[in-house]
Amino acid sequence: MPDTSSKAGVNPDGTIDRARAKRMLNPFDRYALQKALEIKRGSGAEVTCVAMGPPPAVEVLIEAFEHGADYGILLTDKRLAASDTLATAYALHKVVHYLGDFDVILTGLQTTDGDTAQVGPQIAERLNIPQITYCEHLSISDRILKGQRIVEGGNQEIEVHLPVLITVANSATPLDYKRFADGAAVKELLRRPEERDRRIKTVSLDTIGANPNRTGLLGSPTVVGKTWKIGDVGGSCIVFKGESIEREVDELMEHLRTNGRNIEELINA
Amino acid sequence: MPNPNNVAVVAEQFHGSLQQITPELIGAARFLSEKLGTGVSCFLLGHEITPLAERLIHHGADEVIVIDAPQLKEYATLTYKRAVIGILEHLGTPPPIVLMGSTTIGRDLAPRIAAYLETGLTADCTEFDIGDYEHKGKADPSKTGTFKNILYAIRPSFGESLKARILGPWKNPQMATARIGVMQALPIDASRKGVIYNISVNFNEEDLRLKVIKTVRDVSGAVNLTGAKVIVSGGYGLGGPDGFGVVRDLASVFKNSVVGASRRAVDSGWIGYAHQVGQTGKTVRPDIYIALGISGAIQHRVGMANSKLIIAVNKDADAPILKFAHYGIVGDLYQAAPLLKKALIKMGKEKVQ
Ligand SMILES: Cc1cc2nc3c(=O)[nH]c(=O)nc-3n(C[C@H](O)[C@H](O)[C@H](O)COP(=O)(O)OP(=O)(O)OC[C@H]3O[C@@H](n4cnc5c(N)ncnc54)[C@H](O)[C@@H]3O)c2cc1C
Ligand SMILES: Nc1ncnc2c1ncn2[C@@H]1O[C@H](COP(=O)(O)O)[C@@H](O)[C@H]1O
Repeated sequence: MPDTSSKAGVNPDGTIDRARAKRMLNPFDRYALQKALEIKRGSGAEVTCVAMGPPPAVEVLIEAFEHGADYGILLTDKRLAASDTLATAYALHKVVHYLGDFDVILTGLQTTDGDTAQVGPQIAERLNIPQITYCEHLSISDRILKGQRIVEGGNQEIEVHLPVLITVANSATPLDYKRFADGAAVKELLRRPEERDRRIKTVSLDTIGANPNRTGLLGSPTVVGKTWKIGDVGGSCIVFKGESIEREVDELMEHLRTNGRNIEELINA
Repeated sequence: MPNPNNVAVVAEQFHGSLQQITPELIGAARFLSEKLGTGVSCFLLGHEITPLAERLIHHGADEVIVIDAPQLKEYATLTYKRAVIGILEHLGTPPPIVLMGSTTIGRDLAPRIAAYLETGLTADCTEFDIGDYEHKGKADPSKTGTFKNILYAIRPSFGESLKARILGPWKNPQMATARIGVMQALPIDASRKGVIYNISVNFNEEDLRLKVIKTVRDVSGAVNLTGAKVIVSGGYGLGGPDGFGVVRDLASVFKNSVVGASRRAVDSGWIGYAHQVGQTGKTVRPDIYIALGISGAIQHRVGMANSKLIIAVNKDADAPILKFAHYGIVGDLYQAAPLLKKALIKMGKEKVQ
């Protein structure tokens, strides 16, 4: 995904130039990766990361290797451009089929640019497997996964047979910022063609047998009609600034009294 | 027969109590249905929930389609998906629009239903409207054309710096989820009349793959940010977890108050995620919002900018929050908060006299 905190790649009209935007691992996917690595430590499983995007998205896989992921797949194809969540989920579920066997698919809760939280459940629907979204805790034994998901003001305990898709809540685990390998070392290693081919596979729609009519613009039931910048409100704030904070608080209270905000009603008598 | 041309709302209830989002969605659906010249239908799913149907009508629904089944006692993705699909199949023709909440249930269920139907879904909308759209795309000649009276699903995007109008004119239902606390519910009208339909659906083996052992909602201990009249929030400027003592202390002055927080305070482990206000936390609209040591980043602002009265304390006169708050105090929050508390208590006492 493009780095939304970076100014690079944002056009003057506010739209995103995804080819120019700086690329980074979606922060929400860090939690999914961390959960995957926890499962790996407990079971000897292997972690394969899948990224769909233009060729520079390989950076995201390299970042995942630094954290301890084993393999990466990059799905890249011009015909994927402008995919909405349905088309993205279709393409990603075809990658899963291409990979063959799996037990647990983890996704982030949402992306920070699209911010829809839809791709995970839509992959699960395409694969016809159950899902646990907003998952905070999970444990696996005898091919049964016990999970806890967040609901408003509480949680749900869920049991499900593998395979399953999990979207990982960002409250699931505090992020562990250490990396298992430094970036320069991973990049150096990947300069060796055999190592690169062993760990990263780049695939197209044809490789994975996906129908191009179901991806990109053609496969997307939605379209962005119009975007506009959220205008800067402001200028109307009354700021108290002066010698003493006592004065400032007094002036604020004076305003509150005279402006008929009726805040007295809300104060404990 | 229920009217398939109505704007549909999937109601949300928990163990028999309607959730806040539902009247808000009905309010939004009425606005859209009036523009389309149709009515509003609610889908009500659960077990022993039939009494709620009447209440949905009082909130503004014209029709309620109920599936009451023991398999729906606890929310679970696959059984609820089966039930919603069951209602849509019963309607025969897909409704023009289906709205759901952008809650942990809506965001779990809506994408699966949309994928099953292969229709468009727009997440986390903050505004809806009806209008026309001309699609000129050359890449997809089969899609070009002018479409009348379609759903404008409007949502923030790209880190909340933009708003985008998302359209899905090619297929019904056009689906969307709405952010909690943003749409306006209608006043309750106990004299409103409507029609209630009870239908049933068959669950199969596959629908029961996911077992919900239990759902716990600690209503008493829950942080009710969206229902509070007053929110006092703390940010990274508190300097540490103990700072929330000062925040709680100030909040205690008010009758119906809750403690909020910025994401940076939450991520630092100073307070639980349930307290987070903003893009990835809760959207709130209290009568008073007091921000202590919060810079006012766009992702925080979108969650609280609609509060009726915003008071910010920040030691940096250039902090963005001092541009969009109603009142700002420049200074150390540890000095300002106790003074504010004293002054507010005095104000409360004057009122009593
Ligand atoms: C995808 C995404 C989603 C996000 N979602 C959210 C969200 O939901 N909610 C959210 O809040 N943020 C969210 N953020 C983070 C947001 O961008 C900011 O980083 C965050 O809001 C900053 O928190 P803060 O204001 O507490 O901290 P800071 O920005 O560090 O501000 C601290 C403020 O405290 C002031 N201060 C310091 N000491 C004192 C003192 N003694 N007295 C008075 N003032 C003092 C400083 O002047 C400063 O203005 C999100 C970011 C991203 C990228
Ligand atoms: N292009 C992509 N490549 C890989 N994973 C993706 C992609 N888009 C979305 N996802 C996954 O789906 C999750 C939800 O994304 P979204 O529905 O866009 O908010 C993300 O956290 C990712 O785990």
